[in-house]
Amino acid sequence: MSDTVTAPIPSAAGRRRPLILAILAGVALALVLLGPLFLDRFSMNVLTRSMIYAILAITVDLLWGFTGILTFGQAAFFGIGAYASAMLLTHIGSSPALLGLALVLAIVVPVLLGVAVGWLSFYYGSTPIYATVISLVFPIVVTQLVYSGGTLTGSSSGLVGYFGLPFGLEGFFRLSGICLVAVAVAALVFVRSDAGRLLTAIRDNETRCAYLGLNTQRIKIALTATLAGVAGLAGFLYANASGVVAPENTGFVFGTELVVWTALGGRGTVLGPVLGTIGIDYLSANLSGELPFLWQLIVGALFVVMIIFLPNGLAALVTRFTRRGRSEVVAGGGPTLVPEKPLHHMKTASGPLLSIERLEKSYGSQKVLEDITLDVAPGELVSLVGPNGAGKTTMMRCLTDGKERSGGTVRIAGQDIAGMIPNQIVALGVGRKFQVASVFESMTVADCLRMSRAALEAPSFVTASDALGLPPAAIEILRLTGLDKLLATEVSLLSHGQKQSLELAMVVSLEPRLILLDEPTAGLTKTERTTIGAILKKLTSELGFAAILVEHDLDFVCDISSRIVVLHQGRLVLDGSVQEVVNSDIVKTIYSGGEHV
Amino acid sequence: MTLLLDIVTTAAILFIVSAGLLAIFGVLKIVNFAHGAWLTVGAYCAVVAGGLGLNPWLALPLAFAAGAVLGGVTERLIVRPLYARPLDAILATWGLGIVIGQLVTLWFGRDVQFTESLLPGTIHVLGTTYSLYRIFALGAAVVIGLGFAFLLEGTRLGLSARAIIMNEALARALGLDTARIRLVTFMIGTGLTALAGVLLTPLTSVDPTMGVAWLIGSFMLVMVAGSSFGALAVACLLFGGAQVLVSTFISPILGGITVAVLCALVLRISSKGFARV
Amino acid sequence: MFDSSAAEAKLELDGVTSGYGPVAIVRDLSLSIRRGEIFALMGKNGMGKTTLLKTILGLVAARGGDIRMDGASIVGASPKALVSSGVGYAPQEQPLFQDLSIRDNLRLAVHSDRELGAALERVFGHFPFLRDRLAQKAGTLSGGEQKMLIMARALMLGPDLLLIDEISEGLQPTVIARIADALRAEREANGTTILLVEQNLNFALDVADRWAVLKLGEIDDSGEVGAGSRERVLEHLKI
Repeated sequence: MSDTVTAPIPSAAGRRRPLILAILAGVALALVLLGPLFLDRFSMNVLTRSMIYAILAITVDLLWGFTGILTFGQAAFFGIGAYASAMLLTHIGSSPALLGLALVLAIVVPVLLGVAVGWLSFYYGSTPIYATVISLVFPIVVTQLVYSGGTLTGSSSGLVGYFGLPFGLEGFFRLSGICLVAVAVAALVFVRSDAGRLLTAIRDNETRCAYLGLNTQRIKIALTATLAGVAGLAGFLYANASGVVAPENTGFVFGTELVVWTALGGRGTVLGPVLGTIGIDYLSANLSGELPFLWQLIVGALFVVMIIFLPNGLAALVTRFTRRGRSEVVAGGGPTLVPEKPLHHMKTASGPLLSIERLEKSYGSQKVLEDITLDVAPGELVSLVGPNGAGKTTMMRCLTDGKERSGGTVRIAGQDIAGMIPNQIVALGVGRKFQVASVFESMTVADCLRMSRAALEAPSFVTASDALGLPPAAIEILRLTGLDKLLATEVSLLSHGQKQSLELAMVVSLEPRLILLDEPTAGLTKTERTTIGAILKKLTSELGFAAILVEHDLDFVCDISSRIVVLHQGRLVLDGSVQEVVNSDIVKTIYSGGEHV
Repeated sequence: MTLLLDIVTTAAILFIVSAGLLAIFGVLKIVNFAHGAWLTVGAYCAVVAGGLGLNPWLALPLAFAAGAVLGGVTERLIVRPLYARPLDAILATWGLGIVIGQLVTLWFGRDVQFTESLLPGTIHVLGTTYSLYRIFALGAAVVIGLGFAFLLEGTRLGLSARAIIMNEALARALGLDTARIRLVTFMIGTGLTALAGVLLTPLTSVDPTMGVAWLIGSFMLVMVAGSSFGALAVACLLFGGAQVLVSTFISPILGGITVAVLCALVLRISSKGFARV
Repeated sequence: MFDSSAAEAKLELDGVTSGYGPVAIVRDLSLSIRRGEIFALMGKNGMGKTTLLKTILGLVAARGGDIRMDGASIVGASPKALVSSGVGYAPQEQPLFQDLSIRDNLRLAVHSDRELGAALERVFGHFPFLRDRLAQKAGTLSGGEQKMLIMARALMLGPDLLLIDEISEGLQPTVIARIADALRAEREANGTTILLVEQNLNFALDVADRWAVLKLGEIDDSGEVGAGSRERVLEHLKI
């Protein structure tokens, strides 16, 4: 693993990327502008529609491919945009001002509804399937409302015969093409920017995002609302270009078609869904005359086969060749590490950093934690030990999720955390390292570290920066573990020990004052344990972090702790120095089986 | 009085249509989005039985067998590779639904088909004259419900299925053949759904897309019910009742979305739905 | 590690490595357990004891090495096949179907309901209290009764090889003694081989013939049970 061949230097590729994108965009623009010179009317008609649908496919891809939210609801936002335009133009009239108003409405109404749908779909503890359920219900509701709208919506026959933008067939072809290119370029720039990596981070590991202090619910709501607006814009285009809107444009079946196209083209690639949508919709229009049902059958069958065997779509076949570099360990490369001055974003409070008073946790009648009282001051490294089922991990959870505990109080830097969710507690200066390394598997080491700074410094929506600013302590962890040489390597290629170290570096990058570590050395080799132990000791005794450590390896605990707390059957039975605990009879009893030795 | 009958018979029909989906979701934790296609297949079994000049009641066993066999093939080829990817399983089964829908279209054409009514006429109950068939549907729902109760509580297969629902890791550790139990459950679920398709024929028109209309309603009810048939019955009564009331007093079109909207709201309040009932 | 000929070995582990995802919990572990012996495997939490049992039973895939039962490799065999060929298992985590009756919990351990009657009679011999409480839900039993039910379920089919995961955890000495009696009686009657994973060294050294201590997925020390074993094991287990 260490002696890898020199791979292409990614930062150079990163610099070349805007250029490639510009050339691509230029070619695409030329195609849509010159297209009308070569295409017959039928093709132009079909392709105009296909390109509008492709805009929708991009929004589906951003939600599903990048963020992991399977949605059937984009069709509804599209339909609302289309109906908002058509209804205004039909019932009030058509003038340049009204057309402008139609455009505004077609975007603003979906955005507002997007906020509502997002609020409904994403709350702390909501499941992915629930968001999908809402995305199913929403278009059905919209369709039924259209049906029951009478003359206002044209009911089942839709609206037709209004006057839209005064462009001909060629004009709409070009307009749709320009919009598609603009949306695609914006999407590509965004997903490669520092902020865009957030989407992948949420897809990979939403829990970790929350424990990096990111409000993932709010991010997903904002994304839903924004993309609802884009879908509304596409609806506006469609209403103008086609001159007719119908209930089918809002429906859930159309929503599933968008997902099918996105899947076939290749989720998570932006360009794949665009090409997939245009290709399939264009072919459909051409073939449906001759073999209408057979064609649908083939698309359906292909879709099933793809989902099972090639979940990343046709684009995955292409990227398998072009993105070779990502599947290897890359030595060197990646952004430059820049030591940052601590941001001191936390309030300084008097008294202990962590103060637990009569903490209690029960599941039904079963008490898992009872009457735990404990203070932790800066600079302390407190180890939490005890046999299985003593309540150690439960206690960690109670410290990082204000809704977990059943009784008592937990104060961090003087503030009661009752009712707070993890990202709010992280903002108080708490970092949590999980038992199984919780990192972002499909991202590079550098991107993972960047995510842990995203809550402190708002990332750019446009650029991917070449520098990575981290606190000196985090940089030192990277140096000690050799991760500083692997910044451009994808995390899934790291060893287990490297992932544990990476997660620790991510947690330290948050500039927490209290670090909670749940068995950080499980499954590590002797050398790796020694390294982690040295780092923890330095963080606490020299840099003034406080740390709470859950650990089974008592030799390790005795080596590094400044204090040991023993839990047994949900109660705190001992709290003292390493010496006191090692020589205690209670501990011997607990560990030899309940009877007195 | 008619309103009351409407409510219970609507709930009964919803229960019949959703039961197969629930059986699969409860044990396999997979949403079979081709559910609508199986309803369609069942209904077309009735068409075929009619075409062959068979007694229309024979369509019921025929549909069950066809649905179960098709289900067995589906579980083996499509669902089994996707147990670890539940969202993809939704998509793959939806794709399968498209395929089945188009196959039906290729075979029978797009037109609406007519089937011989199973039980024509009306009956005099509770002081009003009411559709005999809808009363029969109520009975059928009770039989299906009791049948499942017996299957789950009274048989070894049911015990194994419940064990898997409660604690799959332990079931495996005790040497239960979880793969076989999943297969059989899927086949029972799809067989039953096809049978429900036959039962729908007197109530709705038969065409290749008929199943889709029922898919969302049953999907939502199953989400709310979790893995409990009791909870499903309660959900059908409550939301089916609401649907009848909205349709009668406000608008039939809005009635059509009542079930989905109410279920979504219930899930927003309690993510486990009625599963604790 | 142990010098025992293949003929008398019931279970042999040969350089076994296993774990979850990228993490190796059990590392290159070799162990041979003789037919008819009770073997206690000890070690602190997180040292790979439970993972080892799950690997033997096929619940966790072995990534390297070989596992042989009666001389034939069982790597890759399904839990179902192993249970059918006479392996009994008493798990530690979530070991019971809390909402099922005692009868149904026991019923799940037999292959068909025809065997149920005879199997129930077998375990009533060890734990008579179960006879009158078959209809009670497992979740309503006390902690000690639940442990006895887990033990009873593992004994239902009269296994040749019994894998037991920390059965004594959190139990009163009187209950531990009853379980110890059941294990001895079962071995006496059927020559059952028993692999006992334990943290309670009093119980383990009381029933076992041999012991080993597991540390970080490897065997740290081992020996016959006898004078001085207690001190040696305690040396490894204490803080």
